[in-house]
Amino acid sequence: MRYASRISSLPLTVRVPATVVILMVAVSGLISERVLDRLSTTQETYLQRLASAYLDGVVASITPSVLREDSWEVFDGIERLKPSADDILPLETVVTGKNAVVLASSDPEARETLRPLDPRFAAQFNGTGVTIDTDTRSGYVRRDITYQDQLIGAVYAVFDVSSLLRERQQILVTLLATNALFTAFLGLVGFVAVRGMIRPMQVLETHMVEAAAGSPTPIADSEFPSTDNEAASVYRAYNALVRSGVEKQALARQLAEEEKLASLGRLASGMAHEINNPLGGLINAVDTLRLHGERRAVRDSSIDLIQRGLQGIREVVEAALAIYRPERLARPLAEQDFADVRLLVQPELRRRRQKLDYRMEGTLDVDPRWPAGPIRQALLNLLLNAAAATPEDGRVGLRVAITGESLEIAVSDQGAGLPDTARSMLTDETNGEVPPDSGGIGLWIVRAIANELDATIGLDGEAGAHSTVRLTIPRTRSELSDAA
Amino acid sequence: MQGSSALDVAGRLWSRRSALRLAGTALLCAGSGGLADAQPQQTIRFGLTPVFLTNDLELLNALQAYLAAETGYEIELITRRTYQEVTALLVSGQLDAAWICGYPFVRYRDDLELVAVPDWNGKPLYQSYLIVSSERDAASVDELAGDIHAFSDPDSNSGYLVTRTLLFERGLDPEVFFRKTMFTYGHRNVIRAVASGLAQSGSVDGYVWEVMREIGPELVNRTRPLRKSEWLGFPPVATSKALAHSHRIDALAGALLSMAQRVEGRRVLGMLRLTGFEDADPGVFDGIAAKVAMLRGVL
Repeated sequence: MRYASRISSLPLTVRVPATVVILMVAVSGLISERVLDRLSTTQETYLQRLASAYLDGVVASITPSVLREDSWEVFDGIERLKPSADDILPLETVVTGKNAVVLASSDPEARETLRPLDPRFAAQFNGTGVTIDTDTRSGYVRRDITYQDQLIGAVYAVFDVSSLLRERQQILVTLLATNALFTAFLGLVGFVAVRGMIRPMQVLETHMVEAAAGSPTPIADSEFPSTDNEAASVYRAYNALVRSGVEKQALARQLAEEEKLASLGRLASGMAHEINNPLGGLINAVDTLRLHGERRAVRDSSIDLIQRGLQGIREVVEAALAIYRPERLARPLAEQDFADVRLLVQPELRRRRQKLDYRMEGTLDVDPRWPAGPIRQALLNLLLNAAAATPEDGRVGLRVAITGESLEIAVSDQGAGLPDTARSMLTDETNGEVPPDSGGIGLWIVRAIANELDATIGLDGEAGAHSTVRLTIPRTRSELSDAA
Repeated sequence: MQGSSALDVAGRLWSRRSALRLAGTALLCAGSGGLADAQPQQTIRFGLTPVFLTNDLELLNALQAYLAAETGYEIELITRRTYQEVTALLVSGQLDAAWICGYPFVRYRDDLELVAVPDWNGKPLYQSYLIVSSERDAASVDELAGDIHAFSDPDSNSGYLVTRTLLFERGLDPEVFFRKTMFTYGHRNVIRAVASGLAQSGSVDGYVWEVMREIGPELVNRTRPLRKSEWLGFPPVATSKALAHSHRIDALAGALLSMAQRVEGRRVLGMLRLTGFEDADPGVFDGIAAKVAMLRGVL
């Protein structure tokens, strides 16, 4: 299994040629076996014919001598009939008479005349066909000598079949070499072909990986195949997908911007009210200064009043600017940011005669994973959403808890519970479709920010009851990483 | 002397019977050779027994050319496988002359006449060798008991008669003493049989053995003579009594006897390893005749 999984993990450019090579080796092995088997049969037939021709000559020549049991004539016949031109020569020829007694042999020293034939020698001959022994590189063939239908003796011939075996060897080597070359060639062709075939996939893979990393780019025209094939079609489809995605993102950005402006617009009236409140005091203070400015006590208190009023106005203006230009707030989150957000939602709360219950647990320390801008944006959206959901004279809760692992911001309302669309929008990690209209886009942005910060969103309370949205942003794990 | 003439008479009677029988066989076998020419014969039909170089065509051609040139006759060389066949042709007059063995000459003494006897090392004599494998330790004839023994020819002196007589003198029968005997019809074949191990011992012409040792030592050196016989009359060139002293036989005798003096003749003698031919006394075959006499009634 491990081996199989290792093979399946190999790239396609290796697997396909390897499969081709394995198949070729199997096919060539089969073919080689068939060829050698056929060759072996052909050689045995050839040897059989050669041996038959030789034995026919010997038998015809020596039969009268065998009848007379004339060892010399038999010996002389064997000597005279020994062929010298063939590449397959008889190594030894033995002629026996009745009762398997050696009448003569080509090597009388080895097979003594008029002695019984060695049974071990005779056992090497099997029937009338040729028996090839590759160990001794010899072929064994036997022929009975009959006269008037009577068995009067036998001829045993041993042939040197080295040349046949050498031929077999040469053919085997040639087959192996040819097949190896052919297999290597096909493997190479397979490699090149497969690489060419999967090249479009690799291009697509590279672009998709880039897209997954957040920066999708269309496939350049230079990377398109020269012919209009399936790959070109797939490329075009991918490029269309990328363009569509880019357009959607742009649309989402535009919608988010509009929502931001809309919420800012809502805030603006509140802010105007906030600014208007001190303005009355400020104008009174200016009048007081104009009438009684020569009096030091009056002057100091008036100027103090003007300063506080202007300070309040400045704070409101700065908070609004921070919302509009979040890039200015890439700095880490600080406690002041919570104060700013509270200040920003205050006009809306006041308009609805609502109260904000704010509580902070723990001390907020500086963490680069907690950027001020997005968190302020998300918190503002959640609070505005909670204020909108809570009836007038109701209460909106904001609880900030800083722990060793995370920053948790819980915003609660006294509304009738989050509608299903809002719930799914907050909990859908894919942060899918942008809401069709501006309704709910604030929560969609909260989800987008949560994804950006690797944060999780939890929802308490059930439909139709008060609900709490819990945004949990993890801390930087630099210590852990260092430790690892 | 009396014994000797008695032997001669008996031999003569036996010879006539044998000659008739052999002539009949020869007529049946020889085919066209049987008819004598009506015209004055211009051809000498010269028979050769398978001495040792019958397959040496160069020698046969040289011998034929020399004899033709010296005698003025066409020379027809006729070879047969066995001594018996050549002897039969000669005795029946189908050959003008033949190079036969001393044993048939003695057997058909009354019908045959010597033309010339070859000299080997200057003498018309040779020996019979009893040979064994060169690796064999045997030192005496007795140790050959149980052998497969190769004879050359039943009508050969050196290749049969000598060994047969030797065993007879010891009261032994070759068919019992040896496990098996075989005739190879050629001295060269006897050497081949013993050298290859087909036979454990053999009876061979000593002259053939010695000459073949010069020509083909590889084969001959695988054998060694265990026993050499006494010197006996060299296989002679003989003719039938009827043709003796005819013109062509005289011409043939002259060519043979003068061979050593002629350049071409010496070339032939060189190939045969002979020193010449001589007009030897038939008495050189007495030794063989004594053996024939000893075995009379046995063979």
